[in-house]
Formats: sequence, C-alpha cells, structure tokens
Amino acid sequence: MNYSMSTEWAYLLHANRDVILEQWLERSLGLFPEKMGYDTPVAEALAEALGKVITGLEEGNQRFRDALDDVTRILAVQNFPPSRAISIFFEPKIILREMMMKPTMAERLTQEVQNTFSLRIDELVLQAFDSYMQHREKIAQLKVEEGSRRMFMALRRAEA
Amino acid sequence: MSKYLPDLSELKKEFDEKPSVLKGDYSPREWWDLPVEYRDGNWCFSGKPEVLDDLGFANPRKWAATDQDWQLPAGWQKIISDGLQSRLKKYRSLKLFLDACVRCGACADKCHFFLGTGDPKNMPVVRAELLRSVYRNDFPLVEKILKGFSGSRKLTEEVIKEWHMYFHQCTECRRCSVFCPFGIDTAEITIMVRELLHLIGVNNNWILGPVSNCNRTGNHLGIEPHTLVQNINSLVEDIEDLTGVAVEPTFNRKGAEVLFITPSGDVFGDPGVYTMMGYLLLFHHIGLDYTISTYASEGGNFGLFTSNDMMKKLNAKMYHEAKRLGVKWILGGECGHMWRVVHQYMSTMNGPADFLEQPVSPITGTRFSNAAATKMVHIAEFTADLIHHKKLKLDPKRNDHLRTTFHDSCNVARGMGMFEEPRYVLRNVCNSFHEMPENTIREKTFCCGSGSGLNAEEYMDIRMRGGFPRAHAVRYVKERHKVDSLVTICAIDRASLPPLMKYWNPGVSVYGLHELVGNALVMQGEKKRTTDLRENTMAGFEDGGDDEE
Repeated sequence: MNYSMSTEWAYLLHANRDVILEQWLERSLGLFPEKMGYDTPVAEALAEALGKVITGLEEGNQRFRDALDDVTRILAVQNFPPSRAISIFFEPKIILREMMMKPTMAERLTQEVQNTFSLRIDELVLQAFDSYMQHREKIAQLKVEEGSRRMFMALRRAEA
Repeated sequence: MSKYLPDLSELKKEFDEKPSVLKGDYSPREWWDLPVEYRDGNWCFSGKPEVLDDLGFANPRKWAATDQDWQLPAGWQKIISDGLQSRLKKYRSLKLFLDACVRCGACADKCHFFLGTGDPKNMPVVRAELLRSVYRNDFPLVEKILKGFSGSRKLTEEVIKEWHMYFHQCTECRRCSVFCPFGIDTAEITIMVRELLHLIGVNNNWILGPVSNCNRTGNHLGIEPHTLVQNINSLVEDIEDLTGVAVEPTFNRKGAEVLFITPSGDVFGDPGVYTMMGYLLLFHHIGLDYTISTYASEGGNFGLFTSNDMMKKLNAKMYHEAKRLGVKWILGGECGHMWRVVHQYMSTMNGPADFLEQPVSPITGTRFSNAAATKMVHIAEFTADLIHHKKLKLDPKRNDHLRTTFHDSCNVARGMGMFEEPRYVLRNVCNSFHEMPENTIREKTFCCGSGSGLNAEEYMDIRMRGGFPRAHAVRYVKERHKVDSLVTICAIDRASLPPLMKYWNPGVSVYGLHELVGNALVMQGEKKRTTDLRENTMAGFEDGGDDEE
C-alpha cells in the first residue's frame, strides 16, 4: 500500500484509525454527565471532527485546524473546567500506548517513534488550548455584541 | 487571580467526585443523588428587589444562585405545597401529566438541552420527575406506603435549587410532547414549577425586568410612547433613503381598520428593525388602513414565563387598545411566544372580543375564519394570502445575494400549527431556499436554545449548548447547499440565533421573513434599488450593473 504519511507513528495512526477514533470518541463522550450518547448531534459532530484531526495530525493543514476548532468549539461551552476539556487531547498518546501491548504493534512502536509521537501530541494539546481560548474569547465578545444589538436603535440615536 | 480559575482543592474535588475517563461515571447513582452546582455562567441573574416590589411579587431581596443560603421565606415548604395543591385543582392538565407518565422514555432524546448537554436531568421524563417525585411524596397515600422504590422524595432546599436549575434549562418548546404517546406536555410542567418558584421569590431577572417594564410602559424595554414613535420614524427615514418611498405609519389613530402589534424587538433591536422596515413597506404597498399603538407596544408576553395571572394582565392591553381605537381586527407581527399566548389563551383569558369583527383582508376579501375567536391574524398568513391572490409586485431576484433556510419557531410551529404559510412567502420572495433535515423542522423543529426568557447574556454557555442541535442542522445545509441566511418568524429567534450562528456556524446571518419581503417588494415610485434593507449590496443590482428586464 502506498502511504503518503512519512513517519512511522503517522503510519500506525493511519493503519489503526478506526480503533483509535472509536476509543478517542468514547473517552471524549465520557467527559459529559452520564456519558453523551452515540446517536446525539454532539457525538456525531465530535466523531466527524476527531476523525479529521487524526487524519490531518501529521500535516497540520487547514482542514486539520478547522477540525480542531470544531472539537474545541463543542468543549468550550460545556459544564466542565478547561483542564478536563483539554485533557482529551492527551488521549491518543494513551490509546496508542495501550495498543502497544499487542505484540504486532510493539515492534513498530519503538521508543523513538513513541517519543516523536508524544512530542506531536504535546503540540496538539497546546494548539487545542489556543483554539479553546479563541472560543472563550468569542463567547465574551458575543455577550457584548448581544447587548449592543438589543439597544441598536438607542445607540444609533445616541451616536447621531 | 481570575475568579474563574479553580483552585487546587476544587480540582482535586472535581477529580475525586466527578466521572472521568479514568474512573468511570456516575451510572451506579440514582438521578436524585447527582449534585446540583451553581457557578458563574450557569444561572440567570436573580430578579432585582425593586422589580419584584414593582410587581408585588413575593420575597424581594438581593440574592444569587451561587449563595449557600437563598433566603427563602419562612414556611416556604407550605407555600410550595399549598401552591401545588391549588394548581392541581385548577389545572386538570397538570394532574393528568403528573399521573399519566409511564416512563417509556420516548421523550428522552428529543430535548435539545439533553442532546446538547448529555445531562440526564434534561431528559423531559426526568425533568418532570423532579416535580413528580415531590408530588408523589406529598400526596397519594399508596405511594407513601411504597416509598423507597416509588421514587418519591421530600421537599428540601436542594430540590428547590435543582428545580431552579433544570426548569431554566427547558425553553417550553414542547418538542418532547410531539413524541409522547400520552401527549404529556413538559412545557406545562415547567410553566407550573416556575410559577411555584415565584411564590417563594426564586426567579430570573431577564424575565422579570421585561415583565415589570411591560407592566409599566407597555413594552419589554420600558420605552415610552414618544421614543417608540421617534424610533419608527427613524426607520421611515431609512426606508426613504433606501427606496425613495415615504411610508406613513400612524400611531394611536382611532377608526383605523387594523391595529398592528409586533414585538418591541422589531422596533429597537438589530436585526428586528429590518423586519419592521419590511412590514412598513408591505403595508404601504397594499395601502392598508392600519395604526400602531404606543400603549399596546409589545407583542411579546413574558408573563407566559412568570405566571398565568401576569400573562393575562400583560395580554389584556391588546384587546383594551383595539376597543379604545375602534379597529375592526388585529394584525400581529412575527413573534413566537406572543402567538402561543394569542392562539391558545387570549380568547378564553381576555375574550370574548365581541367588539371586533371576524378578520377579513381588505385587499383580497379573504375571511380568516381560523381567527374567528381571537380576531387576530398572523402576518405570515396575511402575506401568504396577498401573494396567493397576486396582490404584491415582487422581484425575488433582489434576494439572490442570500441562500436561505427556514427555522420554524417552536411556538408558531408546535404552538399554533403554522408550517406552510411562511414557506410559501419565502419561496415567493427569494430564489434559493433549502430545507434543513426533516427531523429538525416543522413540528419537529429544534428550539433556538434561548426561548422562554433564557436569552440572558450571562447564560451564553448554556444557550450555546441548548442551541447546538439547531445549529448542527443549519451546518448541514450550510455545507451541502452553501446556505448563508437563516430566516425565521420570531423576535426571540432574531435576538438569539445571531450569536448561536456566530459561534457554531460563522458566516450565517439571521433574517426576519418580512425583511426579505421588504427587499423583494417593487414599490410604486421607488428609485433604483442597489442594496437591501441592511444596506448590503444585492447581487445583480450593483451600481452600473444591468438590472433592468
């Protein structure tokens, strides 16, 4: 098979994409009270976005950044603190480590591969933090805008 | 340090007590064991003491939901208990809804708040159970004997806190009732619980402020008559600048044929004012003999979210004013809960309006027999009838810069069964219209997430969660059909959907139906139109462009 991904970890991610996505989604849904159901719009949107994050993780292109934005957009308005929301971006590291227990994986996932992957995930967490904060900033901005929209005519007359 | 930053002990508590990916979840616990926690951002500010004083409501005081002690009045349990008993006697529906539920769960995944939060107490069945568990404990003897496995519980302060939280995460949209095999309407349970909470002063200032303003000056913002007139006249000037046509609304004019009442958001707020401009253009186009009242200057009725008596009082001004002005019938603008009140309660609450006539369109002669009781016609019906009889000169190409979808407002769709009229109008005033998925429109429409007085700024996070299912459906048509305009016929939608779209679907703007009508209307004596009512350039009508056919 012809993989365009150049690094070993990216290959492993790609080859095990479905399993990783399934576990990552399950853990993400576990953040919600009593675990968010699979057939909800939130789960649907998360599954789509997390899938794109996995696919684009290596290249970090625009599609990847948009998908990351979609994930953090959901997380940024939930009833759990930022630390818990961001914690899900560490999960791929843990999932891959657990998968390593399988003998077929162990030989490919050398210490070196793990270290590179671990660095990429740390970077992902930081990117996710930026993205999360952008959404929080957006919420603050929406609150201000809403007040002015409600008083639209009063403000217009005051300016005139 | 920011007050939003949790300290270490809180984080530790969070880790020890909350479900997590490492420790599993709350599933072994019963729903009533799950804690209720108030923190900044998950509650609407409480009613101000002066507002409660103005209205003569119970227990005015300064308090916050994050306080440990809510300063409930002495004997509050008895107040609630007596309040519930008297309402059970008065409203058979409440008793029926409390007794009939078999917990089949058909409603569970239909609530936009449950879908957006995953919180089990947002399942309509559990939401109702919050009240039912107390009802069961306090009333039927048999259930008392069965206590322990009947799910009954005592009325404690914790229960009040839980009621306040979860009956303010219900927008009374009634989507769950569509799927309930018994037709149980959780909205009515929410209405009743909020009414009970008002008896002990547990409330929401975003609802009570407008109620008090409306009670005093006639509209939510407390705008006085001269300002109302100035605002509308300012829109009249805008219309003349844009179209070259001078429309001439009249105010408090006795003997007009029609009294026009719309939510005050259409007169003061963005983007409601553009919808108002649409109405004014339409009435001028057909030469309607109408007047606007500075007393009945609010279509909306936040009394619906407060108490039956307050709703009745605030609604009464519509008929008072129609009688005083001697009009024949009332035409109502685009609004959601206003129509729920008008359609379901007005004629029995404040009628019969025997001083009015059964509405007849003076332009088409159509007799609105559906409004025989209330004598009040919805503007979407009125306009659809005008279009059907070819009484409007429309150029839908003037909305070619918009690719639209239609959001059914809960109260108009489920509350009065109006689905086709606004779509008929929309199809006639624009060329690009795409429906959202079938299970998110018409009677199955998803709420904007901010209805029933939850549209407070401080509540933004929860509104974004509750509005997610609606936003997700808009995203669907945005991606597939490049939809960029969400059209709606509700003032709360026009206020709450813009932030919802800006957050979830940047690039989608919110429009009132009659704003698009106003864009498309070809007015007699108009100058060359290059921009729409928002002064955005219309595709194909740019200056110097070839727009004549």
